[in-house]
Amino acid sequence: MRHRVAVLALVAFVLAAGALAGGAAGQAPSGEYKIGVLEPLTGPLAFEGKRHLEGYEIMRDMINARGGVMGKRLVFAVGDATDPTQAASEANRLITREGVKIITGTFSSRLCGAASEAAARHGVIYWETSCVDPRFAQRGLRNVFRTEIDATGFGWYNVEFIAKHLAPRFNLRPNQLRIAFLSEDSSYGQGVTEAARKRATGEFGMQEVAAEYYNWQATNDFTPIIVRLKQLNPDVVHHIAYSTDAPLFWRQSREQAFLFKALVHAGATGYGSPEFGKALGADGNGPFALLEPGPGFRLEALKPEGQRLEREFRDAVQKRTGSYPLGGHQLAAGGLWLLKVVLDEARTDDLEKFRAVVAKLDLPVGSLLNGWGAKFADNGQNSNERVQHYMLQWQNGQLVTVWPEEFSTIRARWIPLGPWDQRK
Amino acid sequence: MGPAQIEAFAQLVVSAVLLGGIYALISLGLTLIFGILRVVNFAHGEFLMLGMYLAFWAFTLWGVDPYAALAAAIPLSFLLGLLTYGAVMRGVIRASHNVQIFTTVGLSIVLQNVALVAWSGDFRSVRPWHSAVVLRAGGTAFNLSQVVAFVIAVVLTVALFAFMRWTHTGRVMRATAQDRDAATLMGIDTDRVYRLTFAIGIAAVGAAGVLVAPLYPVYPTAGLQFVLVSYVVVVLGGLGDMVGALLGSLIVAAVEVVGSYFFGTAWKEVLYFLLFIAVLVFRPAGLFGQRGAETLGA
Repeated sequence: MRHRVAVLALVAFVLAAGALAGGAAGQAPSGEYKIGVLEPLTGPLAFEGKRHLEGYEIMRDMINARGGVMGKRLVFAVGDATDPTQAASEANRLITREGVKIITGTFSSRLCGAASEAAARHGVIYWETSCVDPRFAQRGLRNVFRTEIDATGFGWYNVEFIAKHLAPRFNLRPNQLRIAFLSEDSSYGQGVTEAARKRATGEFGMQEVAAEYYNWQATNDFTPIIVRLKQLNPDVVHHIAYSTDAPLFWRQSREQAFLFKALVHAGATGYGSPEFGKALGADGNGPFALLEPGPGFRLEALKPEGQRLEREFRDAVQKRTGSYPLGGHQLAAGGLWLLKVVLDEARTDDLEKFRAVVAKLDLPVGSLLNGWGAKFADNGQNSNERVQHYMLQWQNGQLVTVWPEEFSTIRARWIPLGPWDQRK
Repeated sequence: MGPAQIEAFAQLVVSAVLLGGIYALISLGLTLIFGILRVVNFAHGEFLMLGMYLAFWAFTLWGVDPYAALAAAIPLSFLLGLLTYGAVMRGVIRASHNVQIFTTVGLSIVLQNVALVAWSGDFRSVRPWHSAVVLRAGGTAFNLSQVVAFVIAVVLTVALFAFMRWTHTGRVMRATAQDRDAATLMGIDTDRVYRLTFAIGIAAVGAAGVLVAPLYPVYPTAGLQFVLVSYVVVVLGGLGDMVGALLGSLIVAAVEVVGSYFFGTAWKEVLYFLLFIAVLVFRPAGLFGQRGAETLGA
């Protein structure tokens, strides 16, 4: 009973915070509260890291306009995490030189493990908003929290979409589907792919015709793989790609007239990156990417406070970048807002008190930015069911939200994909 | 072998040849610099990246097709090579290999980050009309831009080979590579030879950057995607051997394509690096290089 009262009180608090967010600006913050933000700002991941940081900055400004965190103006000490070694050393610098008690970041699954280990050694809270490495929350570290689902969640959603949305539209049962798995070989790609393979074959009995991993930085030609896949004749290609390999695979599949019924990806890189559309234009019509919501997202499907937050965030991103929020913006901002919710309730960055508040969070889907809710497990991982994800599709140079249909105003097209010259 | 297998095999052959053309294009400048200056240029990939950006900006800002941009890219890259030699390489040309390696690695990181600051980390694309043209013949399919890159790779190889073999400057360059001190005693201005060689090498890789821009995304670390394989090609072909570089490229591409098809992509690097190690151990002058060439000028 006591627990229930506490949960109700917390929900009431969050709703009140949401109401404040929608109304007039909160009280002017007094003093500053500094957190560390760790992102890859140079090197091969800089493109995504900078976008992620931009999302943080936009949300920081929104938070400060509402009275900051714990009544103080939120400020960042930024660290550049190009690779795992630098991620750890920058985490140390932020803690020892900048004196931060909370670090957030880190975009990549390559980086979050090393950075959070460094934070753990200092007993500093590590609030991850983007990396999806399943191992992140499975190391028994009490200081780590992740607002985004992990890679197994991505795989779970992808197979859900394939089995329950695509298969009926192909007039096939899930166990009649022939599926080929192709993935870049980072922990991100492997995590998503292995989770999807397990669920596709174990739960739905899909027929796996191939499972292939590759190094995206050393793959300059997909033709041999495509030639082999053509012979295996899959219905669905489940392809987890980074940013350079997705356009290359798609272009070469077109050259080789490789016909499959659908291609499904997950994450903000590869088919989920705006660069895919820029590289291919209307030639890129058709692939699906599991992401945060994009154009076509039905705001009315959210709770009132979620709607207010979402609308204001979109406007702020539009004002700063001239475009709809991209995945990196949404992950960072959604995570940072949730951090504010926790800090305002905890009124402290003491790890144990902070953990206690996180453990009590119980927000239904639709409460927060991106239509998210929150319900954290003991290991600091937010739950798959609460972190609602969406399937977007490339339609004439734009990624649009098409699934779940109750959250979208636009419908998926080209199911199954027709010949390459008939996808306009 | 059924018709489907024959078609698949034909496609693999075509893909290997065209991919080999791209590797050759990128490796020519590296093998030239390696062969004459005896410097492993770890910044080679970054000069490729600069060529790609040149193609991107020429196309985006002025609508200039990459093939037209080539006319400007070659002299500009040559000039950049002269400047880089004067500002950076000249000071370390007689230093130990370790110093040269650290210098070129440093140069590589500087160039990557200059590109990152100047143009951001975005992945950019160059989409001229020919990048989407697919040619089909005998059950095989290939991209027009890739065919053009291959043809230019062959032309460039032949031109550089002829230049080195039959021109006075080429002979002077080869003499300098064989014995720097003797060449100096014979009145050859070795500093000028090195400067010229470095500039030609950078002009070649700058041209390669422009030609591959329609095929691959342009971003600050794009060079890393190709540079590792270029080192394999250079060692395989024989240091400083132009025709060897072309043949080495074709071999590496064939190993990559066939390895990917039969064993899976994860194996392709294992296979061509095994070949790389075997060549270094059993035939250090490369498959096509002159015996003992690897020790010249060392």
